[in-house]
Amino acid sequence: MRVTKLSVSGLPVALTVALSLLAGCKGNSAKDAGGFPRDQTLYLGGSQWGDPSTFNPLAESWQAAWPVGDRFNLMYEPLINYNSQTGQVEPLLGSLVSKSNDSIVIELNPAAKWSDGKPVTSEDVKFVYDLGRKYKDAATAYVTEFISQINVAKVGNTERLSFLVDKKGRNNPLVILDLLQAVRIVPAHIFQPLLDKNNGDLSAVKKLKVDSVPVVSGPYNLKTYSNQKIVLERRDDYWGNAALHAGQKPGPKYIIHPIFKDNNAFAIALQQGDLDASQTYIPRISVKAKDGVGTWYKKAPYFVPGSIPMLIINVTKEPLNDKAFRRAMAAAINYGDIKELAVSGYANDLKPGLIMPAGLEAKYYNEADAKAHAVAMGAASAKKILADAGYKSVFKADGSLDYMTDKTGKKLPSLSIKSPAGWSDWEAMIKIAVKSMREAGIDVREGFVDASLYWPAKPSGDFDILMDKPSASVTPSLPWSRFEAVMSSRNWAACGKSMNENQGRYNNPKAADYNPKVDSLLKAIPLLSDESALKKAYAELNDIFLDDQPAIPLVYLPEQFYEFSTKTWTGWPTEKNPSAPPQLPWVSAGIKTLWNLKAK
Amino acid sequence: MLKQHPTARFILQRGGWYLLTFFVAVAINFLLPRLGSANPVDIIMGRSSSGLSAEAAKEKEESYLKEFGLVKLDASGKILHNAAGKPIKRSTLEQFGNYVLMTFHGDLGTSFQKYPKKVTDVILQAVPWTIALQLPTIVLGWIIGNVLGALAAYKRGIFDKIFFPFAILLNSLPFFVFGMLLVYYFSVVLGWFPAMGGYAGELIPSFSLEFLGSAAYHYALPFFSIFLILAGGQAIGMRSMGIYELGTDYVKYAQWLGLKESRILAYIFRNAMLPQLTGLALSIGTMIGGALITEMIFSYPGLGMAMLTAIQNNDYPVIQGVTLIITTCVLIANFSVDILIGFLDPRVKAGLQMGGN
Repeated sequence: MRVTKLSVSGLPVALTVALSLLAGCKGNSAKDAGGFPRDQTLYLGGSQWGDPSTFNPLAESWQAAWPVGDRFNLMYEPLINYNSQTGQVEPLLGSLVSKSNDSIVIELNPAAKWSDGKPVTSEDVKFVYDLGRKYKDAATAYVTEFISQINVAKVGNTERLSFLVDKKGRNNPLVILDLLQAVRIVPAHIFQPLLDKNNGDLSAVKKLKVDSVPVVSGPYNLKTYSNQKIVLERRDDYWGNAALHAGQKPGPKYIIHPIFKDNNAFAIALQQGDLDASQTYIPRISVKAKDGVGTWYKKAPYFVPGSIPMLIINVTKEPLNDKAFRRAMAAAINYGDIKELAVSGYANDLKPGLIMPAGLEAKYYNEADAKAHAVAMGAASAKKILADAGYKSVFKADGSLDYMTDKTGKKLPSLSIKSPAGWSDWEAMIKIAVKSMREAGIDVREGFVDASLYWPAKPSGDFDILMDKPSASVTPSLPWSRFEAVMSSRNWAACGKSMNENQGRYNNPKAADYNPKVDSLLKAIPLLSDESALKKAYAELNDIFLDDQPAIPLVYLPEQFYEFSTKTWTGWPTEKNPSAPPQLPWVSAGIKTLWNLKAK
Repeated sequence: MLKQHPTARFILQRGGWYLLTFFVAVAINFLLPRLGSANPVDIIMGRSSSGLSAEAAKEKEESYLKEFGLVKLDASGKILHNAAGKPIKRSTLEQFGNYVLMTFHGDLGTSFQKYPKKVTDVILQAVPWTIALQLPTIVLGWIIGNVLGALAAYKRGIFDKIFFPFAILLNSLPFFVFGMLLVYYFSVVLGWFPAMGGYAGELIPSFSLEFLGSAAYHYALPFFSIFLILAGGQAIGMRSMGIYELGTDYVKYAQWLGLKESRILAYIFRNAMLPQLTGLALSIGTMIGGALITEMIFSYPGLGMAMLTAIQNNDYPVIQGVTLIITTCVLIANFSVDILIGFLDPRVKAGLQMGGN
C-alpha cells in the first residue's frame, strides 16, 4: 500500500493546490503586461465572431472584418452620421446642406484628409458611389437604383455634391439618406490604380485583404490582427480632431476587439472588467451592476428599443391565407411572457402594429387608432375568432392539442415556425409563442433548423411561418423601411422564386383581393415631408397591417445590447448623460463616445 | 517473393487498404455537403440580399456563383445560361475532378464564407491551437491514467475502492460540463484564471517569455478540463485490462514456476498495454478534428470551430480541406498502430508467418 494518500477528498484538493500554484506564479501580472497598457486600451466586443478574413472596404459587408463594412466608422467614414437618439443628421466627412424630393445636397468638409495626407475629395465620393454603375458585383451596386446622378459644384473652397433622386427608378429620397450614412468613402487614389493594375477586374481587387497600413480617413487604423483579436491604433493626426472635436483626441490609444466564440465569454469578460463594452445578450444584467456593468437605463428595460423580431406568415399556405386565422394567432400569443422570460424584460410593452411606441417613431404611433384595428388579446379572444371562422380544435384526453379542422371539417396541417437553431433568444420567444398558441387550440410547432437551411428558405418563401427581424438597424428611413420589408409587393414573385422583402407573399398584385393602397402608401411616404400627412399615411398603413396581420411582432429589442464596464473607462453615454446614442462606440454617431472616455 | 518477407507484405497489404479507404473517404467528404438542398450561394444571398431588387439580387448571385467556380463559363469568362435564363451549374463530377486536380497541386481552394481567405490559411491558423490544446493533455492524461489504473489493478484494496469510483465519476462527467464548472469556480468565483482566450488580450503572438507565460497561464483551465476526464477513462481501461491479465493462465503458470513478481508484472503490463496503445494512437490521430466544445467554452480558435462554422455555412472548400486533413491523420494513426502492434504483439507476427492476414 504505497500509494494510498490520494483519497476522494484529496484529488480536488490536489487540483486546487496545483491550480493555485500555477495561478500564483503567473498571478495577475499578465493583466497589465505587454504592448497595450490597460489604461490606454479600450476592449470592445460582440461584432467579430470568426477569424478576420479581409479588411477590404470594397468587400461585401458580411465578408469584411470589424471595423470595416457595416456602419462602422473607426477606419472608413461615411459622408454623414445619423444619431439614432435625436434623429439628427450629424456631419462627418460632409454635412447635410439640403434635402428635397429632387436631390440631397452634401457639402464636403475641406479639412477631411486621408491618412497619407491627401484630401478627401468629390472624386473619392464619386468613385465609390459610381462603382456600382460599372460593376454589377460591387457591394454598392444597389445605390444606382436610388441615385441617378451625382453633380459636383465648387462653392468657395468647398465641394458640394448633389445626389439626384432617381425618379424613374425607386424615387426614394428617404433611402438616399440611409445610404449617405451607410456607404463608407474609400480613397480613389489607392483603389483606382489597383483596378487599373488588374485590368479593371473588380473581383480581383475585392480579393485583396488591404490589411497592411491601409489608407483611411477615420480616427483609428488597423495595427495588427490574428484569429484571437483585432487591434486598432489611434491616429493622432486624424483630421476630425480639429475639425469636429475642438482639437481633442479620442481617449483610448488602442482599441482591441477580442474574438470570443460564445456569448458567455463576452459576459464573463465584461463582468471581470477585461472587456469595456459589448453588444451581446447578457441575461440578468441588473445583477452585474455591482461589478461595474452599466446600461443606458439603470432600471428596466435597461436598453433602448430599436428593432422588432416578428413571425412572418406565408399567406399563400392554408390556413394562413385566412385573415381570421392570422388574427387568432396574434391574439393567442402571450407577449408579456415573451418580454419577461425570453428577453429578461429588456423591452417596453408591445403595442399593436409595426410602429414602435418609443423613441423617434413614437410620434407616428396612434394609440386609439391602433386599438380600434388591433385584435383583442387573450386565449378566449383567439378561440372566439377561430370558432366564428368555423375552425375546430380537437384536444387529447390529457388536454393537449391534437389537431384542427376547418369549416368543411377537413383536417388542417400542423404549422411550423422556421428559425435558426441555436439562436437562443429567438428560440425562447418561439417556444413561448408556440405554447400559448397551442393552448388556444392553434396547431403550431417549433421548427428550429440549421442556419444553412434558414437563410435560403427566407427569400424563396419555403416556410409556413418564419422568424425574422426586418430592418434591424436604426436608420433615417424607419419606420417606413420596416413596413416596406413586411408589406411591399414591389417585387412580387411566387414562392420558390426569390423575394428580398415581404417574404410572406402578402398582397399579391395579380390576386382578386389585391389592396393597391398598401403599395401606393409605401411609394408615397418617402416623398412626404409634411408631418401631419406623414402621420396620416403611417396610421393608414398600420391599420391595414393590423387588419390583415401579415406578420406578428413579438417583442421590442434594442438595436444593440449596449453594455459597458466602468472598471477602466468612464464617460459612457447613458440616459442621464446622453452625449451619444446607445450604441457601441464604433457604430454611426456612437463613435462620439470615444472622445468622452477617460481612463480611471 | 514477398512470401519470404512477411513484414513487408503485411505493410504493403495494409497500406493498400488504407489508400483505398482514403480515396473513398475523400469522395464521401466531397459528396456529403453537396447532397443537402442548400448551396453556399443561397445561404449568402439569403443573408445579404435583403432590400435588393430582383434584378440586382440575380446579378449579385451570379457574380458569387462565378467567383466560387460553381457555374460554367464561356471562352471569354462570361456565365453560360440555359434557355430559361438560369446560369448553368457545373456538375458535381466536374467539381470533383477540379477538386482532385487542385488538391494534387497543394491548393485546397478559397473559403466561401471567409472569402478571400485561402483554405490552407484557415487550417494553418487553427491547427497549432488544436494541437497545443490537446496533444499535451492526451499524452499526459494517458501516461498518468495508465499508471494509476495499473496501480489500482495491482494493489486493489482500499486504494482501488476509492480510486475506481472516483475515476468512473470523472470519466462519466461530460468534459464540457466539467469545463464550465472549472470556469465558474476558478475564473468567475476565485478569479485566479482567465476564462477564455489562448493568451492575454494585450499581447501579440511571439516567441517571447511573456507570451509563452501568458499562453501557459491561459492554458490551465482548458488543460484540466480535458486532462482529468481523459486520465480517469484511461485508468478505468488499464485497471480492467490489468485485472483480466492477472487472472489469466499464463500468470498462474508463471506464479507456479516461482518467477519474480516484477517479471510477472512486466508480462502483465506489456499485454494489458496493447489496447491502451491503440487508443493513444487513435486519439492522437483524431485529435486534429478538434475538441469542439472545449474550444467553444474557452474561445480557443482551433479546427473544431473552423469546421463547425464551415458546416453551418456549407463552406464546401473548408469542409473538404479540414476533412482531408482529419482523414489523413486518422488513417496515418491507424496505419501506424497496425504496424506497431505487428511488432509489439508476437501473436500478429506469428499469424502472418503461418500465412494469415
